[in-house]
Parts: sequence; structure tokens; C-alpha cells
Amino acid sequence: MSKVLEIKDIHAKIGEKEILKGLNLDLEPGKVHAIMGPNGAGKSTLSKTIVGHYDVEVTEGEILYKGKSILDMEPEERALEGIFLSFQHPVEIPGVNNAYFLRTALNAKRKHEGKEELNAAEFLREMKKYLEMLGMKADMISRSLNEGFSGGEKKRNEILQMLILEPDVIILDEIDSGLDIDALRAVSEGINLMKDGKRSFLVITHYSRILDYIKPDYIHVLKDGRIIKTAGPELVAQLEEHGYESIVEEA
Amino acid sequence: MTIEETLQKYKEDFDLFMTPNEKMEYIFDLGKKHTTLPEEEKNDDTFIVGCASPAWLVGECKDGKLILRGEGTSEMAKGMLTLLLDIFSDKEVDEVLAFDPQRLGELGIVELLSPVRQQSLEAFIKKVYAYAQQCKENEK
Repeated sequence: MSKVLEIKDIHAKIGEKEILKGLNLDLEPGKVHAIMGPNGAGKSTLSKTIVGHYDVEVTEGEILYKGKSILDMEPEERALEGIFLSFQHPVEIPGVNNAYFLRTALNAKRKHEGKEELNAAEFLREMKKYLEMLGMKADMISRSLNEGFSGGEKKRNEILQMLILEPDVIILDEIDSGLDIDALRAVSEGINLMKDGKRSFLVITHYSRILDYIKPDYIHVLKDGRIIKTAGPELVAQLEEHGYESIVEEA
Repeated sequence: MTIEETLQKYKEDFDLFMTPNEKMEYIFDLGKKHTTLPEEEKNDDTFIVGCASPAWLVGECKDGKLILRGEGTSEMAKGMLTLLLDIFSDKEVDEVLAFDPQRLGELGIVELLSPVRQQSLEAFIKKVYAYAQQCKENEK
């Protein structure tokens, strides 16, 4: 079985506190992996560790992406190689135009891949297509990145970035938090559009509702810094009914 | 593509931008694909008289078509030349001569140019027509 991302016995701390305690997880190409777990289990730390966030210090273990270690790579290098994280709390950057930001990111990636850069018109055509699909307003093009965006708009904007950057490994950190039903549907449609049988998804969530839309292949339960159970989508029902405590007993 | 089709393509491009600044930036963006002329082709004959910054335009006739090559020196000229060469070069001579230059106004950018730049545009078009006219006369 091939793996696009292999996380091996990762120990990671934020500050002095060890959060991930020997976590193992493999992502398969073309599959949707959902991570569920109680508050404070280490879900967000896991996503930060994969993308190389400066908060996180890895003390032990290895992460291989397409067979290559990424632990020594800068976050932007990992992004250029095709790893994408949608933030749980996207930051507002006043003064940076949304379209500029995205085009710069896309052209950096295209350059890295040896492709020709898109000019402003070519890029805007792409962007408008996706804006419409995500039910976003046209003024999202010229507004500052996330500044004054509603919760739903911020999350849709993360999905917009994902659609435009076309990454290979997509990490969605609580993309569903704070979304109303329409926004959740639009976001899920965006995610489903990216499924091409090759891309892998790591969906971190507290709620089963988004999983009704995007149909995970695997459910991993993360607790106290480790994956304590991996099963098929049927596990969601059990979690909903009996909570995470029931899993601990099995593990 | 015909002149008409190329013009429409650029009109759609410029319509994508909401502010004059963005339109101007797109012109600069186009300038990144700007080509240059060999030194020996930059002479009095090819110099565009009346352009705000030095610019040269070479015109040749080939199989009833007008082939244009040019070089500008300012960023603005590079962008505008790239745009205009795309519209006018490699087009049927008759099509060039029949085209009403006022229609460039449809792009929504002419009014953004300073009066001096607008003069440059006129100077460019004059030279294009002169080349097209020459081609026409050579045919006879």
C-alpha cells in the first residue's frame, strides 16, 4: 500500500509541554482521513507539526512526504511541495489584497513546478470561477486578506486558496467550526471538487456533520497525543453515541 | 485571431479589474512579455515620433499580412506595445486599414493614460497605418 505521508512515532512539544507522544499515522493517496478526538488531544498540534509551524518543536520521530523527510524543511518549502493547511483561525492581514496574496502564492508554486506564471487577468478568471462556486461575493477579490470577513467567509476563503493552489496533501483544521449549513455545504463541495483519486485529505473535526458531506475513508481517534484507534466511517456513529471514553476502553 | 477577436479578448481581460490601478498593473504585467529589437533596427525610420519615451516599430508585409515588431523603453510603453502588437500584428493588411482606432477606447484604458501617453498611442497608430499603407501600395 503506498503512502503519501508517513508520520512515525512523532513526539512534539509546544513550549515545555509535550503534546504529541509517539503519534503514528499514514495518509494514503486519494483517501480522506478524518481525525476526531476530545479537546486538548493534540489535533491542532498535529496539523501544525506537519506544516512546520514555529510553535512546535519536534523532539523525536520522523515525517516522510512522498518518501522524503520534511522535518528540516521550512513551512514555505513544504507548501511549495504540495502540503496545504487550512487554518482553524485564519489570520487577518490588513493592507494585503486577497487576490494579490493568492496570485503571489500560486505563482510561487507554479514557478517551483517550472510552469509559467499566470498574469493578473488569467488569474482573476480562475478566481472568479471559484468565487461563484463557493457562493462568495465578488468584492472578495479586492478586499484585504480576511480583514473583517465573517467566520464563514474566512473558511470559504481558505477553501478558495486550496482550490487555486491545488495541493497534494490537504489538512483541514476544523474547517467546519462556526459554519452555518449553507457555508458548510459550499465548503464541502469545494473539498469534494478536489478529490481526484490522488490527493489526500486530513480532516480534523469535532462534528460528524461535515463527514456526511465529504465521506471519509478512515476515522482516526486522537487522544492524549497518540492515535488510539483507526477504523472505517462506521466508527463515527459509535463516537456519536458513546463518546471518546468508549474508545479508550477498547484501545 | 482577427483584430476584432483580439480586441474582444483584451476587453474581457480589462473588464475583470475593478479599479483603474488594477487595469494599469495589468498593462505592466503584459509588459513582462515585451520583446526587443536588434540595435540595427532601432533607427530614424523605425523611431515612433511623438512617443513620450523612445520607442521603435518595425513593419513588414508578408502574404497580405502586416507583421509588426517593436521595442519601448518605459515600463508603460513596454506594456502598451505588447498589447498593441498583439492587436495589430500578424493581421490582414485590409483589416488593419479598415479598423477604426477609436475603437481602442472600448478597452477602457485609453482614458487612464496621461495626455502625453495618449499622444504616444496616436503616434503609434499613425505608424502602424503608414506601414499598412506601404504594404498596400507594394501589392499594386
